[in-house]
Amino acid sequence: MLPWIYGFDWNTGHIVFLGAFYAVLAAIAATLTAAAIRSLRAIRAGQTDAIRWHGDFESLPERDQVCRHVLTGEFRERQCPHAFDCRECETHAKLIERHPLAPVAGHEEDVSGMAFPLDRFYHRGHTWARLETDGTVLVGLDELGARLLGVPDALTLPQPGERTHANGAAFHIRRRNADVRVVSPVDGTVIETGSAGRGWYLRVKPDSTGANAFRHLLRGSEIRPWIEREIERLQLALTAEGTAPALADGGVPVSDIAAAYPAADWDAVCGEMFLEG
Amino acid sequence: MDREFIARGLQRSSPGRFLLWILPWAALLAFGLYCAGLCLAKGLNQTNMDNRFAFGLWIFLDLTVIALGAGAFLTGFLLYILKLDELRAVINSAVVIGVVCYSGAVSALMVDVGQPLRSWFTFWYPNVHSMLTEVTFCISCYLTVLLIEYLPIVLRNRKLRDVPSFLVFEHKLHNLVYVLAGVGTFLSFFHQGSLGGLYGVLRGRPFAFREGFAVWPSTFFLFILSAAAVGPSFILLTTKLVETLSRKRLVRPTVYSLLARVSGLLLAVYVLAKAVDTLVWINRTSPGHGFLASQYYSWKPFGTWILFAEIVVFGMLPALVMLTPRLRAHNGWLVGAAAMACGGVALNRFVMTVQTLALPTLSFDSFVSYYPSWQEVGTFLAVVAYGVLLYSFSFRYFNLFPEERELRLEAAVHEEESALAGRY
Repeated sequence: MLPWIYGFDWNTGHIVFLGAFYAVLAAIAATLTAAAIRSLRAIRAGQTDAIRWHGDFESLPERDQVCRHVLTGEFRERQCPHAFDCRECETHAKLIERHPLAPVAGHEEDVSGMAFPLDRFYHRGHTWARLETDGTVLVGLDELGARLLGVPDALTLPQPGERTHANGAAFHIRRRNADVRVVSPVDGTVIETGSAGRGWYLRVKPDSTGANAFRHLLRGSEIRPWIEREIERLQLALTAEGTAPALADGGVPVSDIAAAYPAADWDAVCGEMFLEG
Repeated sequence: MDREFIARGLQRSSPGRFLLWILPWAALLAFGLYCAGLCLAKGLNQTNMDNRFAFGLWIFLDLTVIALGAGAFLTGFLLYILKLDELRAVINSAVVIGVVCYSGAVSALMVDVGQPLRSWFTFWYPNVHSMLTEVTFCISCYLTVLLIEYLPIVLRNRKLRDVPSFLVFEHKLHNLVYVLAGVGTFLSFFHQGSLGGLYGVLRGRPFAFREGFAVWPSTFFLFILSAAAVGPSFILLTTKLVETLSRKRLVRPTVYSLLARVSGLLLAVYVLAKAVDTLVWINRTSPGHGFLASQYYSWKPFGTWILFAEIVVFGMLPALVMLTPRLRAHNGWLVGAAAMACGGVALNRFVMTVQTLALPTLSFDSFVSYYPSWQEVGTFLAVVAYGVLLYSFSFRYFNLFPEERELRLEAAVHEEESALAGRY
């Protein structure tokens, strides 16, 4: 461009200017190219779900990003550095080793009139995973999640054979103006689809059923403090929608919370509760 | 349909109300485009510029908005390079302001220069002896950088995020944004400086001519400093304005305080440098060219009041307010100081552009007045309307203030608690 125009000569000033100019152009082009190449690689490697989840997680308020060990009182304050994927977390591994979870009596936890069976693992996005005797995993909505969505207007399930990733979208439910992405608790391949009536939505052949496979999910004595906190979050979300909190006096959530708050922006409430950005 | 494009949990006005808001601005933009079209089709005879007043309202606008848009590079630098994480709350808005300011300036410049079909000549046949070449190159590159930085904000739109390739590209581009922040800082540093240097090298205009360091006159450094100082003030001001118009809390008070501290500190350094520069100019540079400084201020309305206003009223005072914790904690003082800082930079650019050209420099020369034509004013207003429209659409459909939803939740809880406290 510049070297062959009238008045240009190879003096220090022109060389510095030209060098800086082309360096800037190269940096801009390299940045765009690198982003495009990395994107292609990520898409080919099937990382779209993970990227979406990380984006959703980062957009959560700090108080919703707390470590599970804050829920159980082991830490006073701690942000989860792994986007709720405790499989990668050394702190969680050490804590579980040193302080195994206290056993809970009975078959289920009853929290504010909602039943949380203890035979399964819970994702903080309100799904559960239950390991069946045939090695498959059933995936469903927990009681609070089910009450938030009530009777769905529409349900979109993946086809058998499709892959599902932990923290990725398991299925979509539409209720009123809310189109909710429900997160998958496990990695695996969908082999059968269910429905709200059957109590579960997906039967998945998990990639692994080893000790580490469900380590990121809540269980046993973690369930009660988590749900109590979730109810507080729900109250907060409803308050923000200009609706009076109905649980402060010790009442229990109704079976179809969406129907009880017709004026609330249900999309916003569900986004908050199902950890969607 | 419209609701699906608005970020989840954010409250925006109804489509009808939004339409009512944008209609007058769209009408103003249409009128301005007509004015710009006249200038492009019929030439600069549509303006009141002439051989003496080669720079007018448009160059004043360019210099001012480019200085005000400096908040984009400074915020990016402070956030991504110096890791001042609190500024994440305003970085998206700062980028939009940068895009508005720079694209507006480039558009006005294209009307001023004319022959838009030959705009590529400036890159292919540049005048290697002109500071404007460096300015053109830097501004074009920086506008490109700003548009790339704007891209992730657009792609993070709720509906666009549903497209996997957009989602992934936005994520990967955002991971590399520190490179762009560094490049943006480098470019801004030089073109802000060169815009000032442009006046400082005018040997034939002793009112503007300054001595300096190596090839750079002192105005090179003063323009950088003043732009960096008012950039955060302009972000503060626009955020407060958007909060008032939308009746929402968008950022925390700590962010305002940080912006004010940065702005106040840089403004104080600028005022000091400007005062020293003025003293050197009055006592050495100008007399060396055969002019007493008092001669420049004998032409009304450009009296010494303008120097006092620039350095003391719009420089020292807002710097002191923004550096005093008790004063900046008060909304009125804070907004007033930020507005004064922005007004100060506009006044400085006006002085450098208009006063420089108005003053006579030769014995047979006379003082000349300049008033922009309605076509010039129309084009100026088009840039303003375009800025308001782009920002309005960005605010509606993109998440410019990431803490907005959280602040809304906090406000609702606070309101609830106050109501309960009142009940019992």
